[in-house]
Amino acid sequence: MFPVKISGIGVVSALGIGVNANLEALQSGRSGLGAISLFDSNHCVPVGEVKCSNDELRQRLGLPIDKVFSRTAMLGMMAAREALDDAQIDTHWRVGLVSATSVGGMDLTEQFYRDFMRNLDGGRLRMVVHHDSADSTLHIADYCGIDHFSTTISTACSSSANAIMLGARLIRAGLLDVVVAGGTDALCQFTVNGFASLKILDTQPCRPFDATRAGLNLGEGAGYIVLQRADTPSVRDYGRLLGFANANDATHQTATSQSGDGAFLSMSKALQMAELSTAAIDYINVHGTGTGNNDASEGAALQRIFGADIPTFSSTKAFTGHTLAAAGGIEAVFSLLAMRHGAVWPNLNFTTPMRELPLVPETHFRDGLAIHHVMSNSFGFGGNCATLIFGK
Amino acid sequence: MPFINAIASDKTLKTDIKALIPDPMVRRRMSRIVKRGVSVGMECLLTAGADTIDAIITATGFGCLDDSEKFLRNIIDTDEQLLNPTPFIQSTFNTVGGQIGLLCKNHCYNMTYTHRGRSFESALLDAVLLLDAGEAHNVLLGAFDETTPTQHKIMERMGLWRRAQAGEGAYFFVVSDQRGANCVATIDRPEFLQTPATEENLRQQYANALFYNDYADCGVFHTAAAAVLFEAINRLSPDTPKLTLYNTYFGTMPTMLHIRAC
Repeated sequence: MFPVKISGIGVVSALGIGVNANLEALQSGRSGLGAISLFDSNHCVPVGEVKCSNDELRQRLGLPIDKVFSRTAMLGMMAAREALDDAQIDTHWRVGLVSATSVGGMDLTEQFYRDFMRNLDGGRLRMVVHHDSADSTLHIADYCGIDHFSTTISTACSSSANAIMLGARLIRAGLLDVVVAGGTDALCQFTVNGFASLKILDTQPCRPFDATRAGLNLGEGAGYIVLQRADTPSVRDYGRLLGFANANDATHQTATSQSGDGAFLSMSKALQMAELSTAAIDYINVHGTGTGNNDASEGAALQRIFGADIPTFSSTKAFTGHTLAAAGGIEAVFSLLAMRHGAVWPNLNFTTPMRELPLVPETHFRDGLAIHHVMSNSFGFGGNCATLIFGK
Repeated sequence: MPFINAIASDKTLKTDIKALIPDPMVRRRMSRIVKRGVSVGMECLLTAGADTIDAIITATGFGCLDDSEKFLRNIIDTDEQLLNPTPFIQSTFNTVGGQIGLLCKNHCYNMTYTHRGRSFESALLDAVLLLDAGEAHNVLLGAFDETTPTQHKIMERMGLWRRAQAGEGAYFFVVSDQRGANCVATIDRPEFLQTPATEENLRQQYANALFYNDYADCGVFHTAAAAVLFEAINRLSPDTPKLTLYNTYFGTMPTMLHIRAC
């Protein structure tokens, strides 16, 4: 079993394109939430859009104008390429891509389907060939010149944390030298309406862990990290992936247990693997979506594990919105930046602790701290809970 | 080398679905593919009789297509009003794996792969990695895909059915690090080929190579490799102690599986 380090990072979110733009926004407390502009919608809810049209994305990526690409694929290409460029990896190595998505090419399928519904011979086929999840992964692999191995994971909102785990396991088993792992998801009508139908979209900017929280805001983006064997040379070293675990809450298809069983298990197992005591964790980037259910459940799990000494924690969802399958990748990048800069990111919009569980997240940007170990949580439908632990 | 200790498919389901998914409310809410996937997975678990299951790994190319389409139609028909959340919830790729975990109250590792023609092989790779690393002793591994009239029509317009016929199905396996009483085969880590192999080369290299097109029965779908594996296991015999299965999805994403009689 080879230990795994991180040698490159890349991110695209409502906070901007690239690590620097995201870092600057996190430091200055500037949220990326705003009104929906990408498509027409009756839902008046804040969302975290990447402020770049499909044409602009295509231009920035230098893609041919006569070909159609899903927004999911383009966001992914942007972040994965940044991570690979950052790492400047040796071209002789066996490089793989493990990518996650929950919507795939749904942004294009929606447009196709309107025409198809009226007439079964209607709708342009080039709009629907990107529907499946593999499409974005294969385009990203192609764009980044990754030809050794690729696969796609889709476990809803924990997807890209799971992708990072598989990437690490492929390296630990000696099957690959380098893995680009993370996820990508574009905003689309399908998910906006999906979460609206569940009645968990807040019409105001989300307030994770606050007593007045009333739901989540959706976001879009992509986040990838470059994993490689810790004993191989690298230009950059953001730290190690010390522990990770996936566990199932097994309580409900879309909600989590009051006692946070799944979250408790994934955090405990990740700590066990990292061989760390709870006191060693300096910062937790929580899942913290801002829904009544998630934050109560995650909070209960935090309390079960850390007791009265819960480390500094915050949710960055009020910055980016909930980027679904991309969240674990984006927040892995935020976690690594926290370690690199000795900083913690503010949990925006928090004022009042929950009555039943008076946990207080970090509400200010702070730096100059000794951040040696960071935990990152991602939870999804189907009770899917994932925890990653990074260390210096 | 991992042991396949139980197999099940929607084509050979023996147990009454009411025994597999006891709650009538839960059953009623499930769409066709979710119900199929979950019942085949549950039957496979019953057949295996393993003490514990340490991982549930599923694979699907298109996921729950019918639910996705239902929800999309609902958005357009109602102009984003009065939406029924059930098809949205079920449209998630990990619905079947999540529901199996929920039904068994199993908190174990739960993963879903959706990588077109390599969805099942990715899931199998994960299972073998877990078993090899000693992180799991028994893994429930499954695949499911459905055809819908819309998908069929779109692929017909793409001209794909001129070359092949459409298939669908749900297939589950219990893969373990120990030989079980009902072991049906052993299986190696799947091979992911960079380029498609020629039939001639493979037949020279592997005396018992079987090709996807040797199996006219299962038809083409993203997770047909699981169907091929299911059928190939039944072909193993003292005269045919090992088989190599070569798969592509319309000539792309070539993979090989190697199985031996148990």
